[in-house]
Amino acid sequence: MESEYIIEMCNIRKEFPGIVANDDITLQLRRGEIHALLGENGAGKSTLMSVLFGLYQPEAGVIKKNGKEVKIHSPNDATALHIGMVHQHFKLVDVFTVLDNIILGAEDTKLGFLQRSLARKKVQQLSETYKLHVDLDAKVEDITVGMQQRTEILKMLYRDNEVLIFDEPTAVLTPQEIDELMEIMRGFTREGKSILFITHKLNEIMAVADRCTVLRKGRLVGTVDIKDTNKQQLSNMMVGRPVQLQVQKEDAVPGDVILDVKGLTVHAKTGRKNAVHDVSFQVRAGEIVCIAGIDGNGQTELVYGLTGMEKAAGTITLCGRDISRLSIRKRSESGISHIPEDRHKHGLVLDDTLENNIVLQSFRDKQFQHLGFIKRDAVRSYAEKIIGQYDVRSGQGPVTIARSMSGGNQQKAIVGRELDRENPLLIAVQPTRGLDVGAIEYIHSQLVAQRDAGKAVLLVSLELEEVMNVSDRILVMYEGEIVGQLDPKTTTPQELGLYMAGAKRGGKGGQA
Amino acid sequence: MKEAFWTIYEKEGTKKVLASLISILVGLLVGVIIVVIVGLCKDTITGQGIWDGIRLIFAGVLCTGRDAAGSLTFGYNPQTLGNMLFRATPLIMTGLSIAVAYKTGLFNIGAPGQYLMGTMASLMIALGIPSEAVPTQLIWLLAFLGGIALGALWGAVPGALKAFLNINEVLACIMTNWLAANIVTWAFDVSNFKNLVENTKAGYIYKTSFNGVQTAKLGLDQIFPGSQVNGGILVAILFAAAMYILMNKTTLGYQLKACGSNRHAARYAGINDKGSIILSMAIAGGLAGGGAALYWLSGNTEFYWSTYQSLPAAGFNGIPVALLAISNPIGVIFTAVFMAMLDIVGQQLTGFTAYNEYITDVIISVIVYLSAFSLVIRMMLPGRKKAASAGSAPDSQPRDNAQKGDEQA
Repeated sequence: MESEYIIEMCNIRKEFPGIVANDDITLQLRRGEIHALLGENGAGKSTLMSVLFGLYQPEAGVIKKNGKEVKIHSPNDATALHIGMVHQHFKLVDVFTVLDNIILGAEDTKLGFLQRSLARKKVQQLSETYKLHVDLDAKVEDITVGMQQRTEILKMLYRDNEVLIFDEPTAVLTPQEIDELMEIMRGFTREGKSILFITHKLNEIMAVADRCTVLRKGRLVGTVDIKDTNKQQLSNMMVGRPVQLQVQKEDAVPGDVILDVKGLTVHAKTGRKNAVHDVSFQVRAGEIVCIAGIDGNGQTELVYGLTGMEKAAGTITLCGRDISRLSIRKRSESGISHIPEDRHKHGLVLDDTLENNIVLQSFRDKQFQHLGFIKRDAVRSYAEKIIGQYDVRSGQGPVTIARSMSGGNQQKAIVGRELDRENPLLIAVQPTRGLDVGAIEYIHSQLVAQRDAGKAVLLVSLELEEVMNVSDRILVMYEGEIVGQLDPKTTTPQELGLYMAGAKRGGKGGQA
Repeated sequence: MKEAFWTIYEKEGTKKVLASLISILVGLLVGVIIVVIVGLCKDTITGQGIWDGIRLIFAGVLCTGRDAAGSLTFGYNPQTLGNMLFRATPLIMTGLSIAVAYKTGLFNIGAPGQYLMGTMASLMIALGIPSEAVPTQLIWLLAFLGGIALGALWGAVPGALKAFLNINEVLACIMTNWLAANIVTWAFDVSNFKNLVENTKAGYIYKTSFNGVQTAKLGLDQIFPGSQVNGGILVAILFAAAMYILMNKTTLGYQLKACGSNRHAARYAGINDKGSIILSMAIAGGLAGGGAALYWLSGNTEFYWSTYQSLPAAGFNGIPVALLAISNPIGVIFTAVFMAMLDIVGQQLTGFTAYNEYITDVIISVIVYLSAFSLVIRMMLPGRKKAASAGSAPDSQPRDNAQKGDEQA
């Protein structure tokens, strides 16, 4: 007799020094269901999945497959049990082709020679069955994030996995790609595959999952049927208190023009087209202007152009002062705070301490140095102040190595650092990317607080919900140009989507 | 008390130092094993000879020779100790060169080339400025600064190549090493600094003392009579202290380290990343060049000018010095002295036993290998139960795994 559940994790306990990451957690995955695993950063979701995937051995508890107890000592054991995982940070070889990445580690060989054509046939078949479109001969470094993810999914399918774990798969996707992924996931369940879906995005859970297990601080809060619940209940379960899903704010009272951009053009690294072409707009004090658009339409380059990280033509005026010829440092010092898009690449020196990261720009200030010698005490007490004020949690406080902190706390440290510099302009690029509801709520409220304190806020976001909720004015970017200006109070997500897809332009105002 | 011990033991720094000490110990033990094996294989070496060899490996620097009965005597030997400090002088500087570069994320394998350029500049200035017209102390200072300047310039070349063209500094350094070797050979070949007075030995440059230029002894010759030691060692120690302060206490050091650790983040924060990389390499080059100047300006060493086929060992030996010191500028002082001691041990083995100095080269090689593996040694160090996986807070787990995966990929 087949068990109702394909995978059961019973009473799992996993400890790390000083902390219980999973405390008596039971999770049962039904055959052919999409089961969401919901929890804040550090709630123990990833630890639990790592236990299932054989990366950690639990201190207590058993794992059953088809009702039979199994021991999973390594990812190889998990693979043998047909358990596959798409990791949040893709594990692909950049310089290999998509096909080579898919077969890597599971190559069919004949006399030691690779049987690529066989593999190609199988992968093509899979990609047609599940509508996973990839260019098999493209190198991974040249393809979009969405396609990289499809490559990861094909990797799992190629290994005939029947239990698929998706670790925050939508964190890096555009709204359209997310819809596609949801469709693909539904397709899998029709084929009898079972899916564990780790996320903290409630919309997605409501849209696609059958059941949801909620974890909080390493403990099981409960498992609920999606049809019997709603977003508010789920988020309350996750955070442990009532959460404000809607951003609370008054109408904006725009003041003087803080940022005035005229004819900004940034050349693309590759290709002849400009990444940003002749863009003009203004941001006033006391308003949040949001640059919306699908990833890769020039938003990143626009911010690089504004902050000086890339050369740009055109004029940028900040508080009446032309800063378009200034260096990155001079621009920053003349009044730009910048929450960067990629917190690991740009935001933090990961191998340095938290306190050193908190003074990354300001270490030259009189406050922190005297004749070129760093005032350690001043740095320490300032870092402690930021840590306290912005609730940055870490193992060892100011001397914690940034790499060891959770993503949400890393981001809080950056947000704290940038906001505390009290600059008239704040550029926030995807500030809530990969964060959980509690952290998102916090960062959104901070953005609104900045606005209300009379700062100009330029928000770049890929999340429709964030765009609609937080901004006072929306500028849509498509292929390097601003194709429309919208008012979030009068527009609909559908209309916004049309602008983002390039199907509509001009609209109300056009150039702002 | 026990708790206090564990607190110190569990510190990352303590483990690093322990790992280095273990490397040294294992290296010396390998030396002992070789001495025993060679001794057993060679008929000319008796049991007593093997025992002498072993004793010299550990205490060669304190060996004072053989007494009338023919057995080794040990005691305070000012000559060998002084010579040890003299040989440590350039090693401290090249060790600092590599350590400082490493702290800023760069592997300066170009120290030999920078050392050669420093050699050329300091020797030419020291011999080229007539001592009748200019006070010799001033010539010394100019020669020292000249050595630093040309070394810095030579270090800046691979730095600039990396900063502007993203060329790996290791490749560029290998190239600049051989460029330096050939340039120096050519420059001295066409110069009139070749020693023609004492032409018992062909191919050498005049000692700087020929022009009356030599490093002040600063009383060290009183403490270590009969040795080559001079004030250079004090200058080198001063530089080590200065580098420690630079890297740990100043905004410049912070900036260089941030840039070395994450160039993109440094750039985002408004740090001039290109300038920082070039400056790091220039500082490293200047230290190596200064090391050369301190060695040759001693006045009692002769430079063999035809270097186009070989690179100076003092440059490369900076690598193990820095590795063993875990790139800590203060640690460099001690590891350089240790390496110089092994050098002396080699001489003593050659002088007093049937063994030769190559055994110490083996010891150095083993130590270098082990210090490169010091991370592995650090992980093998026994920890307290439960604390075996300390430092991996659960929050960091997913990321750590992702990283491991990346490395595997």
